[in-house]
Amino acid sequence: MKREEILERLKGVMEEAATEPIDWSKAEESTPLAGLGFDSLAILDVLYGVEQEFEIEVDAEEVADLETLGELLSALEERIEP
Amino acid sequence: MSSGRRVGITGIGLVTALGLEEEEIWGALMAGRTGIAAVTGFDVSKLPCGVAAQVENTALEREVAALGRLPGDRTTDMALIAAGRALTQAGLRDDDARRGAGTLLGTGMGPAHTFFEAYESYYAKGVKGLRPTTVPRAMYNALSAQVSMVFGLTGPNYVVVSACASATNALGDGFRRIRDGHLDLALCGGAESFVNPLFFGVWNRLGVLSKERDPARACRSFDGSRDGTVLGEGAAVLVLEDLDRARGRGARVRGEILGYGESSDAGHLTRPSVEGQCVAMRQALASAGVEPADLAYVNAHGTATPSNDAAECASLREVLGGEADRIPVGSTKPFFGHTLGASGAIETALTLASLERGMVPGNRTLEGRDTQCAVRLVGREPEPITGSLAMKNSFGFGGGNAVLIIHRWES
Repeated sequence: MKREEILERLKGVMEEAATEPIDWSKAEESTPLAGLGFDSLAILDVLYGVEQEFEIEVDAEEVADLETLGELLSALEERIEP
Repeated sequence: MSSGRRVGITGIGLVTALGLEEEEIWGALMAGRTGIAAVTGFDVSKLPCGVAAQVENTALEREVAALGRLPGDRTTDMALIAAGRALTQAGLRDDDARRGAGTLLGTGMGPAHTFFEAYESYYAKGVKGLRPTTVPRAMYNALSAQVSMVFGLTGPNYVVVSACASATNALGDGFRRIRDGHLDLALCGGAESFVNPLFFGVWNRLGVLSKERDPARACRSFDGSRDGTVLGEGAAVLVLEDLDRARGRGARVRGEILGYGESSDAGHLTRPSVEGQCVAMRQALASAGVEPADLAYVNAHGTATPSNDAAECASLREVLGGEADRIPVGSTKPFFGHTLGASGAIETALTLASLERGMVPGNRTLEGRDTQCAVRLVGREPEPITGSLAMKNSFGFGGGNAVLIIHRWES
């Protein structure tokens, strides 16, 4: 799956997990997830959402150090079947 | 009479099936228009009761967006909306003076939609299907926690759970804390939203809901043909404030809580006790330092179940004595439905509005009174009242009784 497609579907997942509207116009790959309004609790919901959306398993500990949108995308690329 | 500081009401926020704006809600009350309608969102055709008072979805979406948030749990969202509107009316929304406020909210069923979604996910997909943040979303104190966090309120926050008496207990608790000097400011009220297949289903199974399919006739409080209550969703938050502090900052004081009484029946789990209700009412009157002769109105618990209305009228006759022939008694549940843990707050707010306007809503579904309900009932139409004091009753499953004495502000 192409990175762009993963990003589009990831945006839907993140919007489900968010408690405040996300300003995607300000989001780049280097944007910290915290800057998009995701604290440690909300990140758990994002990981849950990507598991449901992409039918993969994500170990929360393995992705604990992810900080930016780009790092999350890369982690997903590694786990999603091409 | 209890000594201590006077407790003013400086802001009210409402979320109801009749709307969110007080003027709009009052217009519906005066016109006899109900928020009870056929349940939408899932199939109720096979249930004994198919009506409820539901809040309009577009109004909720708009208000949640106005808070800069995305929809979360529906009950929690209602609490947030009501709290925000109450703070705005009190002139405290963006004022640092709000910071130390306590948040004491009642609920009977808590974040019921989040629970229902969790059950559905669990039975479909197992543990892996459960949203990781289910705990902080579904915990009952999410209501008060979110209000505290969103509005930056650093006083104590917790939720009172005592079924239909919850919000009245929360208001009474807030009243006592301010009266006794533990808090200067408190957001008190309740929120309830649970009209989904599971929670509406279990209430149907209990057999206390009206089987009347015509929404206009369901929930016939005090009527001889009443056959049960109708549920509703909604929220109300009142800003309670030390009166001297409120006046000092130039706040508009709408009224006061003058007294509060509470008791338990220690009897049946769902059937009311006259004795227990009388204890709470007498305690409320005594703590306010008022007599039945001082009351202009009683906003009853008035659920329209055969047992509640008869017991409540017997209790009122016992406590009010001869004044029970004079004091108009009304139930507003035929308008808002029985909003359980929010009912005490929604109904206290409308009781204060009634005192302010010198009018009380009618017992809109009263067709022929039950002879057991031998008190002076408001008729089907709104009536004028004179006087500045009212009593608000709430009697909950579990035998909890909570009663407030409300005073209209008179400068």
